[in-house]
Amino acid sequence: MGTPVDENKPKLGLEALGELIRLPGANMFLTSTKKLFSWAEKSSLWPLTFGLACCAIEMMATFASRFDLDRFGVVTRASPRQSDLMIIAGTVTVKMAERIKKLYDQMPFPKWVIAAGSCAISGDHYRHIYSVVPGVDWVIPVDVYVPGCPPTPEAFMDGIIQLQKIISEGNLTPHLNIANRIERETTKPVPKKLVDLPKTGNYLMPDQLKQHAHNLKESGFDYLSYITAVDYSTTLDLVYVVRSFEKNEENIWKVSLDSSNPKVPSLAPIYKGADWYEREVYDLFGVEFIGHPNLKRILLPDDWEGHPLRKDYSMETPRLPYRPSREEYEAWKKG
Amino acid sequence: MEERVIEREFGELAINMGPQHPSTHGVFRLELHLRGETVVKVTPHIGYLHRGVEKLSETLEYDMLPPIYERDDYLSPTANSLAFVLAVEKLAGIEVPRRANYLRVITAELQRLASHLVWLGTFGLDLGGSLGGGSTLFLYCFRERERIMDLMETLTGTRFHTNMNQIGGVRYDVYDGFDRDVFKTLDYLEKRISEYKEMLENNPIFLERTKDVGIVPQELAKEVGASGPVLRASGVAYDIRKNKPYSAYQEFNFQVPVGNKGDAYDRYTVRLKEMKESLSIVRQSLGGLPEGPIHSRKPVKTPSLFKTPKGEAYAAVESPRGELGVFLVSDGSSKPYRVKVRSPSFSNIAIIPHILPGHLVADAVTILGSLDPVFGDVDR
Repeated sequence: MGTPVDENKPKLGLEALGELIRLPGANMFLTSTKKLFSWAEKSSLWPLTFGLACCAIEMMATFASRFDLDRFGVVTRASPRQSDLMIIAGTVTVKMAERIKKLYDQMPFPKWVIAAGSCAISGDHYRHIYSVVPGVDWVIPVDVYVPGCPPTPEAFMDGIIQLQKIISEGNLTPHLNIANRIERETTKPVPKKLVDLPKTGNYLMPDQLKQHAHNLKESGFDYLSYITAVDYSTTLDLVYVVRSFEKNEENIWKVSLDSSNPKVPSLAPIYKGADWYEREVYDLFGVEFIGHPNLKRILLPDDWEGHPLRKDYSMETPRLPYRPSREEYEAWKKG
Repeated sequence: MEERVIEREFGELAINMGPQHPSTHGVFRLELHLRGETVVKVTPHIGYLHRGVEKLSETLEYDMLPPIYERDDYLSPTANSLAFVLAVEKLAGIEVPRRANYLRVITAELQRLASHLVWLGTFGLDLGGSLGGGSTLFLYCFRERERIMDLMETLTGTRFHTNMNQIGGVRYDVYDGFDRDVFKTLDYLEKRISEYKEMLENNPIFLERTKDVGIVPQELAKEVGASGPVLRASGVAYDIRKNKPYSAYQEFNFQVPVGNKGDAYDRYTVRLKEMKESLSIVRQSLGGLPEGPIHSRKPVKTPSLFKTPKGEAYAAVESPRGELGVFLVSDGSSKPYRVKVRSPSFSNIAIIPHILPGHLVADAVTILGSLDPVFGDVDR
């Protein structure tokens, strides 16, 4: 029955999946459902349109004209409920990790994850930072790791091909952890000592601040460039920069505050931009702005403890469940 | 016939746009309160990409930092590292050779072109079906951007995190035939930019969706600290390349395009005109590229040996998004004491809660797209 199959001939298309038996009048095809389904799954991977940082730009370039991932049957979907592949392209932060977990849980089975770029793999040079998850596999299981900072489009395509191989072999989520191997120490955080630097510039008392800002705004300095702070040994100095385009001049002034209980009147009623800048200083330094309409954390989650840019705040502060302590991290590295 | 007036009470509907949304251009969440389709209140939430670059800077040596800063605003990496090295050079009093300054300008302007191409492509994607099925403009722009990526890859070995700037100069010199490749690319781009202009400005749907949408009054733009094309579209001709020239910008002739109304359409025209100016700047700088060394310091072997004097310095560059400044405080050691990155996207999107209420929810996408934020730059 049937014609003998030439063993040396490469098998293509359906023949690679099972046995094609040619009979007079009709052909018959034998395969397993597992093989058939995995063939279908690997040929129509639908990733979630989801980018985090720099790697997302390279991912977009891979989807776009020159590299054209459509050739692989890879078409992006905007809803997690329609997708079966999640490409983590960029740095995963503690604030984002919960959302990533949620999006992953919303995707139907079978689903796969590609961790693209060194930040998604291990956190790379940001991994000691208080707000960064050292590798997305602390949050969700990963199938393929694509190294690079960022990975080139060729590497992205290779990642897709590797995933297709994994799917066609029927190995679901093998949890290969190559992050252990490419781990390397680049930063050893050393706590910065507090110093007293020579104070230069125009220092004001906190109670003069509002009047000074008001006067300047009236006299044409209506552009608020930025507000920031510096943590010295005994004081916490705020720096305010305003500008006048008519005079092409800048006016910088500083306010020295007590580090243990920094309080200062808010400039939000005078400059609208002070709203966000003061929230940032509150978030990172813990300066309380009296009279601010909405003094909440801006960059970090609302329930965060401590103010990271204060010198006594350890850069490596763990944040459970997704950001481990250094001991946990070392133990995990050893396997 | 009896007239019946049906009055319906609409409650307020709160929806979240982001942090995973194709039109938020990154990890950004807008909490929109809607009445019908009209936005009545909006609360932006940022910080989903807060990577603590300012804290990290305090633990690394000066020479190790420019590559870290390149990851901040990932559409124009050299602008970030340029702001940082300018601040260090200012503090330490390091002279930069003229050729290095020219090369800094060339890479910065090429990346401005690439950045604006990404912006234009994704803006087209946001505006959706009006532009030939949605992704046409996106695919065109990324096709052109690949040309610039090719130039960068040939010059530096990487596609966009180029590591071009180092303290005291640049890392890579041009190769033989670089100018020929660049001129060819520029000619190609010039043709294409005119094509987009024609394609978009004759498209009634594009005009309908951008004109008079998201007007940023000049006073608001100033108070919030907006910069770059957002500020210029509102009628303020402030460009750091012109007003406080750095590197070699004082040696080139270029215009600063300004809008008058401050709507999304003005921001589009300002960026499109800026691209043409960038083409001209690259042509001028490459045409007059001086001979000489490309750095004034020898390549670094032990970064901890380089120390800056005690003091403060602020250096700003005009990134594609606006004023990107680095405020540096040094305690005289080999590592910075404090670095503040004054990022343009942060202040540009601080405009959103002031202008979005009153617009339709579909315009939220247009407005956000026209502000062109990069969330690595916002959250740092």
